[in-house]
Formats: sequence, C-alpha cells, structure tokens
Amino acid sequence: MDSDSFQRSREPDIVHRAEMSDTPVQAHSVFSGLSLAAGYAHSPFQSGIAALRDPGRLRESAMKHLWFSTAIVSVLAILLIIVFLIIDAYPIFAAVGVYDFIAGRVWDPAGAAPAYGILPLIAGTLLVTFGAMVFAIPLGIGSAVFLAELAPPQVRAVAKPAIELLAGIPSVVYGFFGLIVLTNWLRITFDIASGETWLAASLLLGIMALPTIVSVSDDAIRAVPRSYREGSFAVGATHWQTIRSVVLPAAISGITAAIILGMGRAIGETMAVIMVAGNAAIIPDPITNALSPVRTLTGTLGIEMGEAAVGSAHYHALFGVAVVLLAITLAVNMCARMILQRIQERHEGAAGAGYGPIRAGIDLIRLYTPIFLLIVPSGLLAVAADLRTAALALAVVLGFFLLRERVSPKISQKIAFGLITSSALIVLLILGIILFDIISNGLPALSWEFLTEPPRNLGREGGIGPAILGTLYLIGGAILVALPIGIGAAIYLNEYTTEGRVTRTIRAGADLLNGTPSIVFGLFGFAFLVLFLNLGVSLLAGQITLGLMILPTIIRTTEEALKAIPDSLREGSLALGATRWQTISRVILPSAVPGILTGTILSIGRAAGETAPILFTAVVFSRRLLPTSVFEPVMALPYHLFILATNVPGAERNQYGTALVLLMLVVGVYLTAILIRNRYQKTVTW
Amino acid sequence: MENNAILKTENLNLYYGGNHALVDITVGIRKNRVTALIGPSGCGKSTLLRCFNRLNDLIENVQVDGTILFNGRPITGNDMDVVDLRKRIGMVFQKPNPFPTSIYENVAYGPRVHGIRDQQRLNAIVERSLKDAALWGEVKDRLHASAMSLSGGQQQRLCIARTLAVEPEIILMDEPCSALDPIATARIENLIHALKKKYTVVIVTHNMQQAARVSDCTGFMYLGRLIEFGETGLIFESPRAELTNNYITGRFG
Repeated sequence: MDSDSFQRSREPDIVHRAEMSDTPVQAHSVFSGLSLAAGYAHSPFQSGIAALRDPGRLRESAMKHLWFSTAIVSVLAILLIIVFLIIDAYPIFAAVGVYDFIAGRVWDPAGAAPAYGILPLIAGTLLVTFGAMVFAIPLGIGSAVFLAELAPPQVRAVAKPAIELLAGIPSVVYGFFGLIVLTNWLRITFDIASGETWLAASLLLGIMALPTIVSVSDDAIRAVPRSYREGSFAVGATHWQTIRSVVLPAAISGITAAIILGMGRAIGETMAVIMVAGNAAIIPDPITNALSPVRTLTGTLGIEMGEAAVGSAHYHALFGVAVVLLAITLAVNMCARMILQRIQERHEGAAGAGYGPIRAGIDLIRLYTPIFLLIVPSGLLAVAADLRTAALALAVVLGFFLLRERVSPKISQKIAFGLITSSALIVLLILGIILFDIISNGLPALSWEFLTEPPRNLGREGGIGPAILGTLYLIGGAILVALPIGIGAAIYLNEYTTEGRVTRTIRAGADLLNGTPSIVFGLFGFAFLVLFLNLGVSLLAGQITLGLMILPTIIRTTEEALKAIPDSLREGSLALGATRWQTISRVILPSAVPGILTGTILSIGRAAGETAPILFTAVVFSRRLLPTSVFEPVMALPYHLFILATNVPGAERNQYGTALVLLMLVVGVYLTAILIRNRYQKTVTW
Repeated sequence: MENNAILKTENLNLYYGGNHALVDITVGIRKNRVTALIGPSGCGKSTLLRCFNRLNDLIENVQVDGTILFNGRPITGNDMDVVDLRKRIGMVFQKPNPFPTSIYENVAYGPRVHGIRDQQRLNAIVERSLKDAALWGEVKDRLHASAMSLSGGQQQRLCIARTLAVEPEIILMDEPCSALDPIATARIENLIHALKKKYTVVIVTHNMQQAARVSDCTGFMYLGRLIEFGETGLIFESPRAELTNNYITGRFG
C-alpha cells in the first residue's frame, strides 16, 4: 500500500502523458509494488536500496525543475527585450510625445534643430515590404504550386532544397549582391543617378522572402487530403480546375500564413536593405515613385546606432524606433500564429467548422488570381524589356482573363501551367544568377593566404583569417548558450507537461522571440549586455545575443523531433520500471538526435550569417590579433563583408572573396542539414 | 454476355513497382447492371476499379499492360483524354470525401468545371442529382450549409449526387458503405437498385451479403486474379472454383 501511493505521488505525470485509463495505471502501480515487495523479501540490503531510491527521486525532481528553468528562458528573454527597449525609449516618448514621434514627417536627429518624426521611416518600411510582396507572392505561390502539384519527383528532389538554400544565403551576401549587381543594373536600365532605390530594396527583399513563402505554401498544399483531389478528378475536372477550385481554397490559410511570415522576414531585414535602399529619410514623391530612395526602420537602427551618443535624445529616439519596429513585427507574427492555429483546429475538429474559412479562401483566391495574372508579368516585363512590350503583354493577359469563360479548360490549363512553371524557373534562375556571380568572382580571390592572413590596407589586401575565426568563435559560443537551454525547454514542453497555460505561455515566448527582428536583438544586446551588465563590446556579448536569437529555432526543431517519437517507445521504457529521466536520457534523446542535429545545424547557419545582432555587441572591423578572452571584441565575416562593401572603395576582389567564404560556410552547413534530414527520413519510419 | 459489355478488359496486368497487383484480368461489365467485385483485402479489386477511370495515374510507379475497352474503344493509351473519361465514368469513394464547401457547391462543382454557368440550369441539375441520390428531402432547406455538417451516410449520398450531376454512363463505387452504419448502408443499397435503370454500376465490396443483395453479376478476386465471374445467383449458390466457395462460406477472408 505504501509503495503504491509512493508510486502515484512520484510519477503522476506519466499518467497524464500516456493518457492511460484507470485500470492499467493501477496494474502498473501494483506491479511496481509487487516487485518492490519482492525486493524487500529477498534482499539483505534493503536499507541500501531505499537509500539508493531516494537520490533517484531527488534527481527526478531536480531534472524536472532544471528543464522548467530552461523553458522559461525564452519568456524571460522576450520580456527583458520589451522592458529594456521601452525603458530606453521612454525619454523620447516623454519629450516629443508618442503621436508626434510616430506621425512626425521629418527625421533629422543629428541636425542643428533635431527632429524626431519617424513617419518617413514607417512609410519606407511599409512601401519596401509592399513592393517585396507584389513581387514575391505570385512567384512564391506559383513555385509552391509547381513543387507540390506539377514537378516530377526527381525535379522536386532538386528544386525544393535549391529554393530552401535561398533561405540560407546570409542577408549581408544578398545585400552585397544587390549593391554590386542589382542597383547597377537598375541604374543603367532606368538611366538614373543611383540604383539604390525603393525598387531595389523591394526586389531584394522579395527574393529573400521567397523561400519562406514557397516552403510554407508547399507544405500547406501538400497537406490538402488526397481525397479532395480524387473527388475532383472523379467528376472529370482538369488538373488546373482541381488546383484552382479545390486544392488552393483548401490550402488558403496556410498560404496566407506563408505570406505573412514572408512579410515578417521582409519587415525585419536590416543589412540587405541598408545596402540597396539609398537610405534617404524621405517619403517618396509621388508616393508611387519606386525609383526614389527610401529608409526603413531597421535601416535607421543599423546606420545610426553606432553614431548616437549613449543617453542622448538621438539614442533614445532609436530605441523608440525599435519599439515601433518590434510592435509591427510582433503584430504580423501574431496574425500568422492565429491563422495557423485556426488551421490546426479545423483539421482536428473537421466537422462543420470548415465552411466559413474556405468560402473566404475562394474569395481570396479570386483576389490573388488577377494579381498573379496581371501585375507580375507586366511588372517584370516593364523592368526587363520596355514599357511597350509590357503593355502588349498586359493586353494579352487581360484579354485572356476576360475571355477565360470561353477558353476551353484545356487551353486555360496550358496557360496556367505555363505561368506556374515559369514562376518556378524564375526563382531558380535568380538563385543561379546570385550563386554564379558570387562564385565566379569570388574564386580568384581564394588562396591559403586569404584564408589565414589578417587584413591589410583596410581589407583591400591581406586576408580574412581573424574574421573566419571570429565567426567560428561567435557560432561556437552561441551554440553553447542556446543548445542546452533549447533542448531543455523542448524536453520540458514535450515530456514533462500536458498542454495548458504554462506551455502556451512558453511557446508564445519562443514564437515572439522567433519573430523579433535581428537588429532588435542587436539593440537589446547593446543596452542589456554591453551597457547594463557592463560586458563591453565583446565576444561574450555577441555570443549571448546570437544564442538568444537562435534559441527559438532549437526549441522548435527539438520539439518536432521529440514529437515524432511514438508514445509506445516511452511506454515501453516506463513499463520496464525506468524513471522519467532514465526514459528520456536513454531512449528518447538518442532517438531524437538526428532531428536535434538538423535544428542545431540550421541555427549555426543562421548565426554564421547574421550581422545585425553583432553589429553593436561584438565586432570590430580590423584587428590583427585573435582575442585572448571572451571580453574582447572580434572580427566576423558578415561584418567584414558589410564594411568592405559599403565603406572601402577598391576592395572588390576581397569583397567577393569574403562573400564566397561566408556563402560556402553557410551553404555547407545547410547542405549538411538537408543531407541528414533526407538520410533519416529514408531510414527511420516510425 | 460479352456482346453488350460497356466496359471490357483483356489480359489486364498492373504493377506497383515490382509488385504484380493485377494478373491477366479479362472481364466484361454489362450495361445497366450492377456488377460487384468481392475478395479479401489486397486482392486488387479496388485497383481494378481505379483502372476504369485511370485514377491510378495519380500514383507513382504504376505500370499497366493489356487492354481496357470502354464502349469498344481502348482507354489505356497516352492519347486518351482522361478528363473526358472521368466525366463519363464517375466514382464514389470508400470514405465520403465531400469538398469542404456547401452542399450546393459540392453538387454544382462538376457541371461548373464542364462549363455550365447558367444559374437556373445549375439549380435544376443540383435538384435532380440530389433527388436521384435520395438526399433532396433532407437537405433542400439548407443547400448552402456546409457539407461537413452532414452525417456520414448523408455525406456519402452527397458524393453520389456529385457524381450523378455530371451524368456519367458508369458509376464506380469503391466500398461505398464501409464507413457507414447499417441504416445508412441500407439506404445506399436501395439507391444502387434505383440507379441501375439509368446507369451502369460497378461496386467493390468487402461485404458478401451486400454483393448478394445489390448486384446482378459478381466477380471474385484473389491475389490479383479474377477467379470467377458470373451471375450473382450462380456465384453464391454454386460456385465453380473451390477458392470462391471457401471465401463465400467464410473459411477465409
């Protein structure tokens, strides 16, 4: 009896976890009780066993608390970020007034009469994001439809990772490509003084948002039950009719979430935008003038944070900008979260609930189709050829659109599939151009000296050895910070609790952290780690900042890996009398290693490529010696490339060399992750 | 009997990768009759059914050899217009699979994709199809409610109505009652009886009593082969093959 109640109190969670009915639980406990009793009867070392059991119990409870404490780190982090930003932004809100700060039309914090109106910056962010979406939504959805519906398996096996690779290219490399190639091309095409424009920023951000839109939409389309497709085929609908009238409406929530996530990425991007947007804090005049330079909220932070004196009005104004930026991105991400949650609920409780959203979905499709058919091809043509060709194409497409009722389903299927396939080809072509440009120009710069020597003559000569090592130090430290915390949090969320308020809060924290723009991490790192904790601009501050940034990725991928492990494995171990922690450490974690590894590698890729979070926390442009302690600043590849590309004329060879090394590092890391994923997808089927 | 066959296969073989799923099937399906295909799980009866409307095309690694004739014309070739074929040979699936839209939209979907846009014609088609599927009385007041709000049996009749709306010549039914309760099953069976006046029905079923109740002809399949095919009465009362006898007397399956 004693041992029975002891068992109950010790492992109450198992009961919840496995959702066993009452009878098996009792059987389980009775069984343990019997074995214990048998132990007592047999053993002369009974007191020894009891003593051994006690530390076990202690360890179990200590483990649980340990994992709980790691789980709340992400919640604490997002709270700290918000608190610190608001504290540092408060003086400017108090001095200027919230309304005048947001609605003021002049941003001139360094002028003789400083002005702190961020309306031009908000306008810049919104315009650039809008432009990026006009370009990325049709291409992204088209590519997703191609991947999910049209591509033969062999093509898909290559094209899908290729498009995902686009996501792995560091933003500073995109910015570099945009600065050297894209703006130059725009300058010549439109015959303007500088190609650094709203259009350039939108094109570049569109490209950067594409992989997110494609991946998430592709998942949504593939999640549409096959029975819907079969039902449509069985009444003699063509493939395109099936896609248009059944598949896309059923996938619309996921596609919408994909678009919002892509928007979030575009709004939060810093480095690439700084390098191509021109950064004049003006509202374009007229507002549709896509060839006007613009400045975004993120760009302002990236440019001015290094110049503002700590504690000055300018400094506080920048934190005000960060608060507004954070509010916008969090709102966008919350939208995506809510939509995704609605989908989940619908999938779970399918009956009755499905009708409303689908109806709305069909209406949305009707909205998207003209965008897809009209704006994009003509816009692309206007850029690529000239206005006359564009007008002609527009007329043809418009004619088709008006006549489509009379066009036979087979013809319209041909046209639609042509457009879909070409959108996927365009995306792959963009990837090809970027990679070709960087590789072909970067290869000549590579040499042993380049990889090992410190830079000379402001980086025009010499190598990037300290930058490579600095980046490796930063990555290593970030992983050391994030891996234990992230895995612990995932273990707590998945193994120790049932869904409830606590897990919802923790997940919300991780999601919010995930949606926080990287430049905001940089600002927070500067205010909290560099100044408040007095770490100075140092390797350690950079490592912690990057670690916080990649934490959500590690939590999420680890959780997915843990979720993929069937409960029967847990029950099998628990039924042998193993404790919770024994089960986790010996059965669950080893099985989850591939998933955790994939997540870790993806985080490494992200940490290696990020510039904004280390901009004010860890890096210097040039330093001959390696840091001797974590309290000294370091060089880093992305920052080195950023400065070389924007501030050092005549360093083209080493710019491309640095870009190539950074690209190889990150792409190599991503390829490893993809290979691991594919390998284990093949070998492990639960 | 072969002469008025609307659907005929000759030495049909089908492979899923290396798996030989259908072996030398030669069968004739007669017009305006109900033909049942019975046999244990995995015997190939659903696969055979899906050959008739080329739905196996959706599955990778499927290879088909042999001839299938629909109204005397081969349908296995690459030049076959599968969209038109599926319009003329409709299908009802094992699990009801209405689209997650309204009842009306589900039935109107087929005519719409085939170019009918006139609202009154659509209304008439929807009403006729729902009546033919014996569902009209239950849903006529809520045509614009979600199809997902119907019961399983109603959903299946809605799927039948959706099939009828495009006026196919043949209706393929892949275990249409396996997800339904006995009362819903009885209604579908009555419906099948009524349908054969206008349509040819091929039904795959697990349930031998059902085959005996609804069909005119029955084929027994085992391990990808058509063991026996003939009048339902004969198959059930005096089967020629011992395998058939063992199966229908419940010795295996």
